[in-house]
Amino acid sequence: MSTPIKKLVTAIGTSIAVMGAGHAAAEIKIGIAGPMTGPVAQYGDMQFSGARMAIERINADGGVDGEMLEAVEVDDVCDPKQAVTVANRLVNEGVRYVVGHLCSSSTQPASDIYEDEGILMITPASTSPDITERGYELVFRTIGLDSMQGPVAGKHLISLEPERVAVVHDKQQYGEGIATSVRDTLEDAGVEVAMFEGITAGDKDFSSLITKLKQADVDYVYYGGYHPELGLILRQARSADLDAVFMGPEGVGNKDINTIAGDAAEGLLVTLPPSFDEKEENQDLVKAFEEKDEDPSGPFVLTSYSAVQLIAEGIEAAGSTDPFDVAEALREGTFQTPIGTVEYDSKGDMESFEFVVYEWHSDGSKTPVN
Amino acid sequence: MQDFLYFLQQLINGLTIGSTYALIAIGYTMVYGIIGMINFAHGEIYMIGAYTALIAITGLAALGIAWLPLVLIVALICAMIVSSSMGWAVERVAYRPVRGKHRLIPLISAIGMSIFLQNYVHLAQGSRNVGFPDLIEGGFRFGAADSFQTSISYMQITIFITTLVCMTVLSLFISRSRIGRACRAVSQDLGMANLLGIDTNRIISATFVIGAALAAVAGLLLGMYYGSIDPLFGFIAGLKAFTAAVLGGIGSIPGAMLGGLILGVAESMTSGYLSGEYKDVVSFGLLILILLFKPTGLLGKPEVEKI
Repeated sequence: MSTPIKKLVTAIGTSIAVMGAGHAAAEIKIGIAGPMTGPVAQYGDMQFSGARMAIERINADGGVDGEMLEAVEVDDVCDPKQAVTVANRLVNEGVRYVVGHLCSSSTQPASDIYEDEGILMITPASTSPDITERGYELVFRTIGLDSMQGPVAGKHLISLEPERVAVVHDKQQYGEGIATSVRDTLEDAGVEVAMFEGITAGDKDFSSLITKLKQADVDYVYYGGYHPELGLILRQARSADLDAVFMGPEGVGNKDINTIAGDAAEGLLVTLPPSFDEKEENQDLVKAFEEKDEDPSGPFVLTSYSAVQLIAEGIEAAGSTDPFDVAEALREGTFQTPIGTVEYDSKGDMESFEFVVYEWHSDGSKTPVN
Repeated sequence: MQDFLYFLQQLINGLTIGSTYALIAIGYTMVYGIIGMINFAHGEIYMIGAYTALIAITGLAALGIAWLPLVLIVALICAMIVSSSMGWAVERVAYRPVRGKHRLIPLISAIGMSIFLQNYVHLAQGSRNVGFPDLIEGGFRFGAADSFQTSISYMQITIFITTLVCMTVLSLFISRSRIGRACRAVSQDLGMANLLGIDTNRIISATFVIGAALAAVAGLLLGMYYGSIDPLFGFIAGLKAFTAAVLGGIGSIPGAMLGGLILGVAESMTSGYLSGEYKDVVSFGLLILILLFKPTGLLGKPEVEKI
């Protein structure tokens, strides 16, 4: 490298460092990492809108111990490679707290970087149990785990006093995991699981499976997987006159299932996080979203809001901005957030996260089942 | 009785799916029979046929036309025209310039075409599943009302009849018509047919057009039968149909029909009596077994030594 260029680079480097230092003194940077573009950008919008609102409201109340919060937003496209790139960018920007990422497959590689660099991360959306299984100190979430959903679904099925239940899954990590825990819950309660079988994700023809379900004479079918396959199963089951009730996890509770299954989606049971925006104590917050013309009803809006709030309250409780102290404070304390009372276990998972059973309707709406 | 009805139901399921595999497999086998290449973009042509049919059905519904036979015929004609022109264009753009080169070159060109078409539909139509309306509902039922009933839906009957008609017309066309005779000549010896004054380029184009038109029929039928389509569904169906073509003996039209039916029944019997997880294991295991003992497939001619 020739000397003038070298000088220039050094100059730029120094000035960036100085600028960075100048900001850090007055503000606490919060990285918000999630998909702004790509196939799941609609979920990313929920995340950004919730986190921005929290930062705005906290700053309006005078910030955290007098210091203002500043958002640093990055786009990971729900792509693991991109997630690593943006995680490194957040490290370079001097961010010490991250709300993100959204997709489990992005959260996992990014969390490695955050843990190494001493950055505290709270994911508002990733449900894969693996993320908190690695003994990391700085990884938290404001959402439940896949493994919490299975027992909820299983217990609901048991309460319906079924004679025979079939459990079907798509042989993928998410679907088979939930299906296995549903099966175990049912068997522990002495309910007969007539069938436990996998299908191939991407398949279109389920006539053989449906014939088998008819032969087994089941009254309930639990499906672990996503909406494209369940939509087809529902539709083909209806045209084959199978009169069993179907149930699925939050991966099927999506309006796209209505375009595929049509009227056959009526009466489907789905476990979902509760609608936090309908809670009495959140009505002020809901109004604030509506004034900004934003929709607080998406599943990840208030989980993101709560993630920012937890970071702020964690800093206050710890009396320090060191992420390790804040992590310690989060594990010890009890916090009131829009998603309810939050207490963390040693892994960084919430002690309890509620899943609610909803009945799905053919127009894409849902009603809670008691 | 129960067991027999169950068996019958799985057989009907298998034959339905098998006959559509056969319709798609024709496209692979005809192209292979004539120029000895595997047209991997054929599955995408089938997918485009299904999308065109859906667009036509939606368009007609928007115009307020609901008379079923008219809707089906218009959708079918639209799908066949678009798929056929696509089949023709694919051959013209991607295969003709590389014909006669090393056999890997057209193969790679075909794979490239397949990826291109898949992504084009992703861009143009979005990557989400889109639902087909239920046009043909209802069916016949057999067996006592309080126990297991075998059902055969009008949709399944439509699939059988359409496939049967298409296959018969195609066989007559190949054996009786002038172009059919030219097709057979080209498939026996392309160079010699050329010397004898047959416009081989036209015959090859015709093969692609016929294969694509049959794939469009399958696209419409399967779109209605399954109920939803997405840009990737041509790939999986194409793979199965290709397997059916190889199983029956690639290059042989009756072989494609037989291969499709065997594959369909094998799949549904496996998921019916064993487990759905073993469906692909059994059907591809069957393929390996048949190729071990009869490398040319069930009805393939042993002397196929082309390119």
